[in-house]
Amino acid sequence: MIVRATASIPMRPMHAASIACVLAILVATSFGLRRAYGADRPSAQQVSQALTCQCGCGLTVANCNMPTCGFAVPTRHEIRKMIDQGKSQVEIIGFYQRKYGEKVLSAPTTSGFNLLAWTTPFGALLLGGVLIVFTARRWHRAPDPQAPAPAPTDADGSPFDPELRRKLAEDLRKGG
Amino acid sequence: MPDLGRLALAIALMLAIYSIGANVFGARRARPEFVASARHAIWAMCAMVTIAVVALWTGLLSSDFSLEYVASYSSTTLPTAYKFTALWGGQQGSLLLWTWLLTIFTSAAAFQNRRRNPALAPYAMAVLAGVAIFFLGMLNFVTRPFDLMAVIPAQGTDLNPLLQNYWMAIHPPSLYTGYVSATVPFAFGAAALITGKLDDGWIRSTRRWAIFSWFFLTLGNLFGARWAYEVLGWGGYWAWDPVENAAFMPWLVMTAYLHSVMIQERKDMLKVWNLALVGLAFGLTLFGTFITRSGVISSVHSFTQSGLGPYFLSFLITVAVAYTGLLIFRAKELRSPAEFESYLSREAAFLFNNLILIGIAFAVFWGTIFPVLSEAVRGVKITVGPPFFNRVAGPLALGLIFLMGVGPLIAWRRTTASNLVKSFAAPAIVGVTTGVVALAAGLRAWYVLTAFSLAAFVLGTIAVEFRRGVGARRHMLAEPAPTALVNLIAKNNRRYGGYIIHVGVIVAFVGIIGSSFFKTEVKKSVRVGQSFSIGAYQLRYLGLSEHDTSHMETATARLEVSRGGREVAELAPAKLFYKREQQPATRVAIRSTPVADLYVVLAGLDDDGNQATFEVFLTPLVFWLWAGGLLMAIGTVVVMWPNVRERAAIAAAVARAAPSALEGEPAPGGE
Repeated sequence: MIVRATASIPMRPMHAASIACVLAILVATSFGLRRAYGADRPSAQQVSQALTCQCGCGLTVANCNMPTCGFAVPTRHEIRKMIDQGKSQVEIIGFYQRKYGEKVLSAPTTSGFNLLAWTTPFGALLLGGVLIVFTARRWHRAPDPQAPAPAPTDADGSPFDPELRRKLAEDLRKGG
Repeated sequence: MPDLGRLALAIALMLAIYSIGANVFGARRARPEFVASARHAIWAMCAMVTIAVVALWTGLLSSDFSLEYVASYSSTTLPTAYKFTALWGGQQGSLLLWTWLLTIFTSAAAFQNRRRNPALAPYAMAVLAGVAIFFLGMLNFVTRPFDLMAVIPAQGTDLNPLLQNYWMAIHPPSLYTGYVSATVPFAFGAAALITGKLDDGWIRSTRRWAIFSWFFLTLGNLFGARWAYEVLGWGGYWAWDPVENAAFMPWLVMTAYLHSVMIQERKDMLKVWNLALVGLAFGLTLFGTFITRSGVISSVHSFTQSGLGPYFLSFLITVAVAYTGLLIFRAKELRSPAEFESYLSREAAFLFNNLILIGIAFAVFWGTIFPVLSEAVRGVKITVGPPFFNRVAGPLALGLIFLMGVGPLIAWRRTTASNLVKSFAAPAIVGVTTGVVALAAGLRAWYVLTAFSLAAFVLGTIAVEFRRGVGARRHMLAEPAPTALVNLIAKNNRRYGGYIIHVGVIVAFVGIIGSSFFKTEVKKSVRVGQSFSIGAYQLRYLGLSEHDTSHMETATARLEVSRGGREVAELAPAKLFYKREQQPATRVAIRSTPVADLYVVLAGLDDDGNQATFEVFLTPLVFWLWAGGLLMAIGTVVVMWPNVRERAAIAAAVARAAPSALEGEPAPGGE
């Protein structure tokens, strides 16, 4: 089996950049999702999912399941009324935020300290990606001289995976 | 009985302490009789905890209200099945269940390793016993299940109505099984670090445990979701509640571990990383317990005001510091000759799969603790709920799905461009076609389009893998296709079982996308005989029937469901009233089809039941979430199925390791 030369191994800062690009796309996706949530006429479900129930259950207004909840039940009713009056999601949520403060929102705002809530996970991911790139580069530069020569890959044009082929041969030897 | 239970727990604690000493002494001084004695102590400890469990069950079933636990979580009118499940309905009982499972798994691991791993097993058993000491200490001194009432009440407070559901019998034990069995790989990892036996012996010894734990974490999470779906009555199944998050994080970490461990098995790389992951998974199970029982973060699941938080936090910190210390101590020995050739390799796919899985776990962790940070830093209480988690984890999930397609088809070490094209051309075409068809069908939300395309792409890659394997067998062994398929799976169960799990994940993912993006709802008040519609369904209110028992009152509404003028079902949502708690609840009615679930809640009754208010959800594709879960379970069973070839490999590895394992140790089995 002939091992075809692989393309030169790409481990340049360019690749850190490409990881950053992927992450940028992910962040963009997250904001795209946000827009998808804010479609023209909001559904009562969407709005009540964006507000936290104040009865102490810790769930959103949509999810609070107490049939007699003094907060979730009337609030869901009010939300429906406001939607029927043609109010947008932003207006309705703004109304509740003015009334109860920031704690009524079911997600952090995107300013000040709260920005950390949104950026840290992606920052950590970026850091992890960079770490992988650096580690991979180290591994690539210092291969163990005692390591065996690369085994043939299935780059020989065979339609079958060599591992499968080996296992099959073994099976055959044992009588299938 | 209470005295017996108390005594049994005290003895169990002493046995746990003894088994640590005997294990460590026996292993250090090469005295196998001490190791054997420690093993017997572990079995005796398990027997003692079993006695305590039986004692508490006896108290619950006989409504012995002299026991504080029984008086708080049961009543004479509670149906017998729920008296049984009340064992884990409260703080002390659920900790007892946890401890019981821990001692059972410790005993099983002790049995498995009675003739194996003479160097590693005693230390692993000592670590397991150490964890048991913490839990038994809690049960003996801090939160005692056998405390007595000062005044014996005539009646108990009863089990929380939300817990009076058959999922209660299944969900907590599954989840606890998943949580607790994660302790075994952790213990062996710790033992490897303590003894310096850092080869993949600890991985081989615990591979099945890790999969077992993953299996039950998967089931536990799914059962919990199903429970929420059927009981909570808001039409959803996942609320990103802190306690749900606490169950989700170990699952993510365990998933990462099960993938990265393949790199170590194959290439002897990532030793530190894998040890860190089992430590993290175990730490997260403790963290979850801490969240549930500390009241630091408010959640519907909390055992409020339990005061256990500081104990769990101290234990968690102790474990984290000790384990990290060991990792640092062994860091030099753990360095392995790693090599990495190309980003177009399976190693790279696994590395990025781990990055994303841990990234999601971190995002979930961060969102869960952020309210605490916010309060500490700004003094402002905020909530981090579903919109946050969906927005952060949503895009990451897409990346993960993409890698799920890439990983299995890409070769180890490196892949050429031409191979890449050859492997991925067909799946890519399938993916793109799916996207185009969905677009033509009128879907515009681009997240959904991407998700469906990627899902199709992954299914395509798996199909290619199966076709290749079956083709090879047909070609070389002249087997007919069905036989070839069965043999392919049977003889490579790890690999193809894994693919079945992947199919399950994709199917579940499609269910999640469908139900998250296309759910519609209607709230309507109607009089008897009147109709309303949602989607293609018409619902007609037929009337109300009432039912009264000593335990609860039930008002059941009957609804005729028709589609295109033809009756398809009759649904019966109900309002319940639990008399002892003076607490109302709802019982939803669901008509499930592969296309969509019709989910009906009886929201209100007026005018003696002549008028009723219904909240109705039409949730597309949610059926596939549960179907995907079933497939994941089937795939896991295939993976865990005993494989003759693997067993031979383990036996060979053990035989190789045995002579040098423990100086002075007699022949294996010589107890």
